[in-house]
Amino acid sequence: MDELVLKLKEEIIEVLNLEEVKPEDIDDNAPLFGDGLGLDSIDALELIVLMEKNYGIKLQDANQGKEIFKSINTMADYIAKNRKK
Amino acid sequence: MHIKPIYINGLSAISIQEPLSTNGILSPTAYQQPHVRCIEPNFRDFFDPIASRRMSKVIKRAIVTARRSLEDAGIQMPDAIVTGTGLGCVEDTEKFLEAMIRNEEKFLQPAYFIQSTHNTISSQIAIHLGCNGYNNTYIHRGASFENGLMDVLLLFAKSEIGTALVTGNDEMTPAYFTFLKRLGYWKDEVSDSLALVKNGCGEGSFAGEGSVSVVLSDKISEHSYARIVGSDLFYRPQDTIVKRLQHFLAENNISADEIDWVLTGQNGDSANDAVYQPVIDYFGKEKSGFYKHICGEFFTASAFGLMVASVFLKQRSVPAHATLNGVEKKPVNKMLIYNHFKNKDHSFILLSSC
Amino acid sequence: MPRRVFVTGMGIVSGLGIGLEETLSSLKNSRSGIGKIKYLDTVHDLPCAEVPLSEMEMKHLLDIPADKIVTRTALMAILAAKEALQNSRFPVKEGYRIAFINGTTVGGMEKSELYYFDFLENDTRNDYIEAHDCGSLTETIADYFGAFSYVSTPSTACSSAANAIVLGMNLIENRLVDAAVVGGSECITKFHLNGFNSLMILDKEPCRPFDATRAGLNLGEGAAFLVLEPEELCSQRGVEPLCRVSGYGNACDAYHQTASSPEGKGAALAMKKALEMSGIDSYSVNYINAHGTGTSNNDESEGRAIMSVFGDHIPPVSSTKGLTGHTTSAAGGVEAVISILAMLYRFIPANVNFRNQMPELSFSPVAEMVENVDLKHVLSNSFGFGGNNTSVIFSKE
Repeated sequence: MDELVLKLKEEIIEVLNLEEVKPEDIDDNAPLFGDGLGLDSIDALELIVLMEKNYGIKLQDANQGKEIFKSINTMADYIAKNRKK
Repeated sequence: MHIKPIYINGLSAISIQEPLSTNGILSPTAYQQPHVRCIEPNFRDFFDPIASRRMSKVIKRAIVTARRSLEDAGIQMPDAIVTGTGLGCVEDTEKFLEAMIRNEEKFLQPAYFIQSTHNTISSQIAIHLGCNGYNNTYIHRGASFENGLMDVLLLFAKSEIGTALVTGNDEMTPAYFTFLKRLGYWKDEVSDSLALVKNGCGEGSFAGEGSVSVVLSDKISEHSYARIVGSDLFYRPQDTIVKRLQHFLAENNISADEIDWVLTGQNGDSANDAVYQPVIDYFGKEKSGFYKHICGEFFTASAFGLMVASVFLKQRSVPAHATLNGVEKKPVNKMLIYNHFKNKDHSFILLSSC
Repeated sequence: MPRRVFVTGMGIVSGLGIGLEETLSSLKNSRSGIGKIKYLDTVHDLPCAEVPLSEMEMKHLLDIPADKIVTRTALMAILAAKEALQNSRFPVKEGYRIAFINGTTVGGMEKSELYYFDFLENDTRNDYIEAHDCGSLTETIADYFGAFSYVSTPSTACSSAANAIVLGMNLIENRLVDAAVVGGSECITKFHLNGFNSLMILDKEPCRPFDATRAGLNLGEGAAFLVLEPEELCSQRGVEPLCRVSGYGNACDAYHQTASSPEGKGAALAMKKALEMSGIDSYSVNYINAHGTGTSNNDESEGRAIMSVFGDHIPPVSSTKGLTGHTTSAAGGVEAVISILAMLYRFIPANVNFRNQMPELSFSPVAEMVENVDLKHVLSNSFGFGGNNTSVIFSKE
């Protein structure tokens, strides 16, 4: 799981172009959206694409992202349970 | 169109010359290649890296010059923001397009699409400033900036606005440079960009890119650069350009003798430069000059031309490097700017010193 | 007293059909143009409203040789502009200064997306490089007629054509031109179909604007133009105008690159400015042709904005995007024509597929076409990505 968490952080930093943010800067339980990292609705869509491209998980409804992307941990949990790649 | 006095109160540019400064206009750097990219300021001084995570170069440049020009003019919030751009946000368009083709329409990242829509420049400036005023974008080839300028002048004439931010933005990516090379836009080699217009022969110019922001107001300030007296924009005229020019001058109650200097969009391409010749002959070679040797050729280079004219008018002289006869020109109090694109779109802007 | 500007002609092609007559018939019968994609070559199976003609068929209608390079968008635009000019009977060759203002975002992208790698690697498709940018499209259309001395291309996403109407009005008011042909044109491209799809705002079913269960928009394509003239020229020519453009409002939401502010600040401002310029109060508006895309965000935002401007006297509202699809840059023109047809033929077009009231809104849209209504003032909204909001008011006189 730790491996997945680290890999996920690196992928998020890359796809969202979070310059100067290192994996160790992102708290596993901190909110990704709003306060915390301060991501927005477009970033949520980017994460949906990331999940499909890298892990084969296709979300039909963007609103599902609200729960899944709450934090790195919730995202890693969801991927671990549903990944096809 | 003759208009009530409109003042150029703020200016800022990021170009192939020194950024956010007029040094490059007064003493430009020469280049020896046909494709020159912008010299950029350190964007970390202006943006938090996370807040600017999606911003491409063209957006960052536009927001920075917009802010700086407003500071220059001493205005916090303009009544209108209008952008001219010939190609829009090319880099992000290319990223989305290439991914779409390679991935056969799958796994596409929305950020590139959003960033590619051309009006995002004007709207991101507005978001950055919190400006709910009039907002528009024009994409009309080599007359894009003039289209934006005309839009705000019409609003000024109706007294719908008292201040406006007008910007010209274009980026010349390696891919787009290649595309335009196929159409004969560029020389194969450039030995000295500053001598390109004077020595211009044969096909092509050299490519630049940039962001220029101009703040206009119907009120003069002690820092005003120049006054816009009149402007005209027209397509495929039936009359000769000189006849059109005479009509424009008459409309603005000014005789040809009163014009101290004419700034043209000559760029070293013979066909392009030949179109300017009748106007140059009309005023005389000693009263003519150019600006594209400073900024290179790109679809909104004429925004840079307006900035160059304003800087020269403020100091009431034109340095030798910008004159056709290689001699400094002074005093300069009334200036005409003439630009054309492919001998189809033509524009005149008449300026006077304050 | 500013110069009064009138509409003397219009032309349209869209998913509703070719020309005003077919368009009117589709509107009165609530016949939607949304269906399976026929002309665009894409992997996606999404409902869209395409113009029901191939490029060959359009060239044939215009007597353009089959091998001439003219893009789909240009062909649509020429058809629509031609109808508008014929409709207005404007004497194009008699030395009047006429502007052509065409709102578009895709430009020549429909071909660039096919030939992009050729652009990079060889010289076989150079004509299409020339056709890529938006201004090039506008000039191609203008050159077909050879009648225009001022050409321009506003490009503000979904409000482009509405801003074309604004510019035309201002050019005429300031006496820079004698008349203006204004509107917009856009064909569906893979680029923006995939773009909107990546934003997850396309409905896989026919869209349901202002419905509580709405799930996004359907793309459409088309072109529509109005001929604008000042009052004195109409009198001089002895033409009976169709209506007057009495005012506009252009305001920026300044909230987010794609989302509208929840309270619809920019939208409300645009509508208020339009009312102010028209010199009428909110009670005088008889119908609002909403932007109403069917996305969760727009319909709530626009709905709240309408409530804030019209309070307890909201006029009938309908979105016609359930019939035309979202024609993006052409929408302001397509919906101007629809608004004026509604005024001329005394009906309110239906907001089709509406069944469930949105709990956030105090009003529901007009779900079925209504006839025999007197529409003196119609407000048309066009709100673009990036918060470029424009509202235009058309008045009977």
